Amino acid sequence: MGSKSFSEAMRLCSGPGNRRHFLQAGLAGFTGLSLPGMLRLRAEHPSAVRPSSTAVIMVWLPGGCSQLDTYDPKPGASSEYRGPFRTIPTKISGLHFTELLPRQAALADKITTVRSMTQTAPGHPAGSMQMLSGDMATQDKPKPKYPDWMCATNYLRSQQIARTNPLPRYVGINPPLEYNGPAYVGDAYQPFTVSGDPSLPTFSVPNLGVSNPGELARLQRRADLRQRLDGLQRVVDRQLEMEALDQFEAQAMMLLTDPRAKDAFDLSREDDKTRDRYGRNAWGQQLLMARRLVEAGVDIVTTQLSGPLCGRVGNWDDHAVNHHVFDALRFRADAYDQAVAALIEDVFDRGLDKRVLVVVTGEFGHTPKISYAASTGAGNASGPAGTQQPGRDHWPAAFSNIWFGGGIQPGQIVGATDSRAEAVIDRRCTAHDFLATIYHHLGIDSSRVTIQDFAGRPTHLVENGRPIPELIG
Amino acid sequence: MCSFGHRSTSLLGLLVMLQATAATAADSANPVSPASAPASFVNDVMPILTKAGCNSGACHAKAGLGQNGFRLSVLGFEPAEDYEHIVYEARGRRISVAAPDESLLLLKATARVPHGGGRRIDSSAADYQAIRRWIEQGAPPPSADDPDLVSLAVEPVSMTVSAGATAHLQVTARFSDGGTRDVTGQAVYESNDPARAEVDADGTVRIQKLAGRATVMVRYQGLVGVATFAVPAGPPAPMPKTRNFIDDLVFENLTSLGIPASPESDDSVFLRRVALDITGTLPSADRAAAFLASSAADKRERLIEDLLQSSEYADFFANKWTALLKNRRDDSSDLLSNFAFHAWIRDSLLTNKPYDAFVRELVGATGNVISSPPVTWYKRVKDPKEQIEDVAQLFLGVRMQCAQCHHHPFERWSQDDYYGMAAFFSQVGRKPSSVRNEDFIFHKRGPASFPNPRTSAGVKPVALGAVPQPISADEDPRLVLVDWMVAPSNPFFSRVLVNRYWKHFFGRGLVEPEDDLRDTNPPTNPRLLTALAEHFVASKFDLKELVRTIVNSQTYQAAGGIEGNQWDMQNFSHASARRLPAEVLLDAIDKVAESTSSFADLPTGTRAIALPDTSYNRSSPFLKAFGRPEGASVCECERSSSPNLVQSLFMVNAADIKAKLSSPQGRAARYAREDRPDSAKIHELTLAAVGREPTMHELLVAAIYLGGAGTGKGAEAARKERFEDLIWALMNTKEFVFNH
Repeated sequence: MGSKSFSEAMRLCSGPGNRRHFLQAGLAGFTGLSLPGMLRLRAEHPSAVRPSSTAVIMVWLPGGCSQLDTYDPKPGASSEYRGPFRTIPTKISGLHFTELLPRQAALADKITTVRSMTQTAPGHPAGSMQMLSGDMATQDKPKPKYPDWMCATNYLRSQQIARTNPLPRYVGINPPLEYNGPAYVGDAYQPFTVSGDPSLPTFSVPNLGVSNPGELARLQRRADLRQRLDGLQRVVDRQLEMEALDQFEAQAMMLLTDPRAKDAFDLSREDDKTRDRYGRNAWGQQLLMARRLVEAGVDIVTTQLSGPLCGRVGNWDDHAVNHHVFDALRFRADAYDQAVAALIEDVFDRGLDKRVLVVVTGEFGHTPKISYAASTGAGNASGPAGTQQPGRDHWPAAFSNIWFGGGIQPGQIVGATDSRAEAVIDRRCTAHDFLATIYHHLGIDSSRVTIQDFAGRPTHLVENGRPIPELIG
Repeated sequence: MCSFGHRSTSLLGLLVMLQATAATAADSANPVSPASAPASFVNDVMPILTKAGCNSGACHAKAGLGQNGFRLSVLGFEPAEDYEHIVYEARGRRISVAAPDESLLLLKATARVPHGGGRRIDSSAADYQAIRRWIEQGAPPPSADDPDLVSLAVEPVSMTVSAGATAHLQVTARFSDGGTRDVTGQAVYESNDPARAEVDADGTVRIQKLAGRATVMVRYQGLVGVATFAVPAGPPAPMPKTRNFIDDLVFENLTSLGIPASPESDDSVFLRRVALDITGTLPSADRAAAFLASSAADKRERLIEDLLQSSEYADFFANKWTALLKNRRDDSSDLLSNFAFHAWIRDSLLTNKPYDAFVRELVGATGNVISSPPVTWYKRVKDPKEQIEDVAQLFLGVRMQCAQCHHHPFERWSQDDYYGMAAFFSQVGRKPSSVRNEDFIFHKRGPASFPNPRTSAGVKPVALGAVPQPISADEDPRLVLVDWMVAPSNPFFSRVLVNRYWKHFFGRGLVEPEDDLRDTNPPTNPRLLTALAEHFVASKFDLKELVRTIVNSQTYQAAGGIEGNQWDMQNFSHASARRLPAEVLLDAIDKVAESTSSFADLPTGTRAIALPDTSYNRSSPFLKAFGRPEGASVCECERSSSPNLVQSLFMVNAADIKAKLSSPQGRAARYAREDRPDSAKIHELTLAAVGREPTMHELLVAAIYLGGAGTGKGAEAARKERFEDLIWALMNTKEFVFNH
């Protein structure tokens, strides 16, 4: 770093990196758009991303939810398939759920049930990557090749929309992070992650909100001084870490300086009745926090329903070696049904039903034919090691998920499976359709938008999908 | 738990020989058995199932039951079992000789009946016909008469191509009966670097736009091969002057790829970089001023010698090795062994103990924690299987984990190799020692052997790829293993170490990951890796000499990216910025703020790079947030250097950081008290923080800011705050947070 001449110093006195700052202010607002991001943006199709204030909440069921035992019961199937749960009518005539979901059944006129989801990867990593990033590879790999829809949206909106809201655009509340991620859009677009059980009295999100005005002013002064002193020349290369640092620092400043940030995460500001309605447990309070966050202006919220409420292994992966599948479903049903039902009610009661789309899904369903194997350990919803117990394995060929809000005409049923819920027989909805539907709500034409990968090659968000027509608001 | 995330660590392996002479056209035309010839389960059917992914770990080769009751061996390495499962299980429904098309195997594979894995094989394809024909012939079992696959030839082996080009691989299998077969259609392909080369299922390689080198791995039955592609960026560019053999080989590679090399870095950039890399410590303001002022021609060499002789060198590298050697505090009673083990590692580095001696003392450790501190490793790593996995990954760059259960797809090691290695640790004896809670480790007299659980046969100690040597009952097999490891001819030992150290100084290994030296994962500059390894062996495993050689190269001393090489992250054409490791960053903050961090059981002022074990992560949210490893694995990848929002919140506003800045003993307080010109203080602070003189612009900005505090009575408090702000601002710059 050689010394600059005096005249050069004078010229730069308004702050080094001025040109960059100007570009940021003009195009992206305070969150910062770095030069590499700018250059990549030019090669894309700006018109394919509509400025929009829509938001998506994705409730993720890691390991997948058994379609036969929940949203797609097959009471006529033989006992090798159907499972022990009764079917119950729902608010929609002709639509039945199992007895595990009484509250959602009573609200079925508010949701759209898709029974014909299908993808082709039988493993958790590849299955999750198909659903979340549209990578159609069926072989598992440890890290995603493509960005998931959350990071991709975060990236695209960061390029397009000046953000004045102090909250991060993408927040994960115990989010799915294992088999997804930003790939080539970079770490800057990862979620702001909140972890822990928000139902506990000790729960808090660290490091948010500076309330003292003197302290605030000083923080701003410091940040300004820092910007003037950062002498490291920015090279226009793929130093994604540097780009990420810019984004994180800008976000950190906003979280610290704006009181709205702290409030959005503060569940004690909800009345007790509301908190009770969601269920005073991790899942209920996670979904309540998700609702608070979208109301406060977060664009993307993901939350994973996992952990002790799932049973012994902490997820929905109901092989017989892990769980007694039916005990496990019964074990988690009440908290699950209550939390989702409360969110459905709130989305409509609070007028979020146009702007906010909610989808509840896992990466696949479970094998309709029940298998038996020895438990590998005792615990909630699993017999002692060695006990033969029923399980269901992975089944990507046909599974269900539910959608609500997002301006969707509620109360629909999309698609159907055969008599054992093994195969889709009507309205096949692929992982790419799933993604295209979400992107559509976010104002992103996924058939046209490309993002440059590490090699600079424009890569489509979704190659072969189209939004599921029934789910277009 | 089901295989929720089988992260298949790729193991290494020596490859199959890549036959230089390609199969001739006549050879390769020797087709898949003609319709009349008997079909072979092993050579005709299994490769198709493998290629279709049926026997992948996520599908029917899932540990335990397979998928949905149908189980295959991982990647088809156990044909006899697979035959049994396909032909005899499920009441024989999987095969129907009378009506081959109604065989469940084919119905499922083509998804004519519901199949969780969907359609894997097209019923109109040759693969379908091949399986069908085998069924029609009565589904003959694997037989001793089946010719064995002996070698695999991939063409081209290496090729220089232009961006956007397409290449077609041809894979020829040679069998024990002398026959060859073109197996291009049945082989499985995987690119090591899809950003540079993508490969289709039929062996078509599509070269992408990014220049550099890419490798495609090829697998057929149990054998693997590679094809490498070089994609030049442009015509050769002139290179800077070379300083040693590293530069010769790096520049030769850059020339062949048409990538320009960056010029030499400024003295200030070099000083900060080399001090951080060798000692994990910022150069002091005095040292920086003296170095910048010196006009000695050999001042860089002399600086390097000084740094290598410093105690911080030993601290910093001991910090690296203690995590890899799992010096964890699992229980508060571990304190004694944690401290003893760390002291042994640090002393070894300080005295520059040859690396082979270091490894011998560690692997062959005998005694108790007082007489032989490296026995601590045996406290943390108790199971012989874990011992061999750690030794193989750490000291040999071989990941053996997969071979415990099955042959790894891109590796040549089998279960016998695995248990043959484990057998070296089968005679490790352990009994209570005179030190409470600490074992005495000794050689238990007797013949070494380890049971292979699949066959129950005892496997005698055999080193990887070596001829078995008899080991007497009195001999400690661990020492025999070390003898093999440190022999100059050992193909792994020196290569993985030099690659690990290379990565330390460049942020990227010649092989990535740095401890995965498969032949299917070749170095980006093979001759350089070999030359470094040879140099290291010739120096008698002298670690300081290795560091000296690396940092004296022009390659290491290069400036950052320039026009034409900024995009290159693979060939060491320029310096890359790396975020400071957690410990180094904390120490750097303390140095600039003139504050201290305090750690339990250690004197105040102990630096983070000198912490003896990983327990301090629990008490230091800073170290945890910035990714200091927990010593849970032997992989350096456990250390995280990615930025995240929590780190930014920490740097910007954590109470801990604010307290360091405002400490009455801190630099800000000192500057506020001292009666000397602000410009001198700004000068000193900039040297201390970023190792260079402030620019005119910076002097001006800082001076104006400090002037805002006013003068006169009561101004000292305001001035102290202004100095705190200035230090805060400097330590939040990228120039500070990154080593560049």
